[in-house]
Amino acid sequence: MNLQEYKRIDISKDEILPLAERMKKEGRYLVMIHGLINKDGQPDVSWDYAVDPYVESYHVVGETSFPSIGEIYCEAATWPERELNELFGFTFEGLDVSKRLFLPEDMLETQGKGQIMVTPLKELVEKNLGSAQPSEGEVKA
Amino acid sequence: MSYIVPIGPYHPALEEPIHAKLYTEGEVIKDAEVFVGYNHRGIEKLATERNAIQTLVLVERVCGICSHSHAFTYAMCVEDLNGVEVPKRGEYIRVITAELERLHSHFLWLGIACHIIGHDSMFMHIWDERELVMDLLEELTGNRVNYAMCTVGGARRDVSDDLRRRMLEACDKLKAPLDRITEIALTDKTIAMRTKGVGVLTREDALRLGAIGPHARASGVDIDVRRDAPYSAYGDFDFDIPVVESGDVFARVVVRALECYESIKIIRQALETLPEGPINLGNKLPKIKAGQTVKRHEAPRGQLSYMLAGNDSLNNYRISIHVPSFKNTPTVPHMLRNNTVADAGLIIASIDPCFSCLDR
Repeated sequence: MNLQEYKRIDISKDEILPLAERMKKEGRYLVMIHGLINKDGQPDVSWDYAVDPYVESYHVVGETSFPSIGEIYCEAATWPERELNELFGFTFEGLDVSKRLFLPEDMLETQGKGQIMVTPLKELVEKNLGSAQPSEGEVKA
Repeated sequence: MSYIVPIGPYHPALEEPIHAKLYTEGEVIKDAEVFVGYNHRGIEKLATERNAIQTLVLVERVCGICSHSHAFTYAMCVEDLNGVEVPKRGEYIRVITAELERLHSHFLWLGIACHIIGHDSMFMHIWDERELVMDLLEELTGNRVNYAMCTVGGARRDVSDDLRRRMLEACDKLKAPLDRITEIALTDKTIAMRTKGVGVLTREDALRLGAIGPHARASGVDIDVRRDAPYSAYGDFDFDIPVVESGDVFARVVVRALECYESIKIIRQALETLPEGPINLGNKLPKIKAGQTVKRHEAPRGQLSYMLAGNDSLNNYRISIHVPSFKNTPTVPHMLRNNTVADAGLIIASIDPCFSCLDR
């Protein structure tokens, strides 16, 4: 029995603040704020609220700048906003980004370019094993 | 005199790196800041280069304490996107592993808390009893740290009738030491003097800052995903959610000690009513269907959330991991204010922080 249904709701950027105010008033818990670049190359940022047992996920697509809901949800909002700012470059109006969250301490010297160099797994596999990843339906021991 | 006292990122009272900057007047902390990110490994990015089975192995390495919670939550996401129904026996085994993980995590934290306040005999006593749980985990899963118990579509190892009988006996065996630990925690003068009224987080602050898990429940916030949004097999079991109002370090000790009883209660019910049938749906490597989902699990430290986006391919399109410490760490500066520098290590540790999880 899994009651954790996920509901996606698309909204506009202007609705973010009124929505956060309504959710706070109703005592809803902010599960997370996360983002991705969708397959069409568009930024897709979502604000997930626990409306138990559901998660209501409010998406804004195609924007890179958003109002911060830090005034309403305090650090529960500002930490994920800072994370999205550092790792995706999205901006949140009113958010203090003068200090690092996850980036290296020398981020100011390296202008945010000194972090996290991930070698794609495919390259590592090809370089070290010379074989591709397993295909669908196949599990390698 | 005003001082700025740095603690960490590497400090004897902290097993993992966090940097706290304490702004003090004499010995009293007037303000504080915390800095994280010393363990950032880019696991979310790494996951986009892996298929579902490889990702289970990867996300288990997010944390050495709640490794099953990560694999469990990720597997729930893949199953939701793919519309997979997990066999009941598999769900029960997942829950048993999750509750054993909670037990060992709470024992571990209670031991560390006693160590920090200088009650080392209690620390050794608790960790000695924790070995009983670790032995059970080892026997159930084959591992003591990264259990590899979860797979997409169920559990990887079954529970034999013999193991089930011995696990039920172990539940009985755990009762006496847990009673003893709880009694000492509730009545010992050393523990009371070092924890009562220390590092208070009020209910209002806990709600305002979004604290979760035992940390929030110790501040009077009645929140637990297992009950509020039942998932897996949790809806089949009867258990209570301990909530304490005082919001200090003592309350966090009490909540975690009481939660151990509830975990044993859940494990016992799951073992006694373990359904017959398969434990998983086989070893087929699944494609991750297009779409997006969020799943939540009550990990030992609080609510763990995973977002998974699929793209009809073998690999994840994107995953996002939000761990309990990500929510609870911002409460630390608020708890430190108006306490003494001597208590700072204990107060930071009282949220049961996991910076390996937080930084992921």
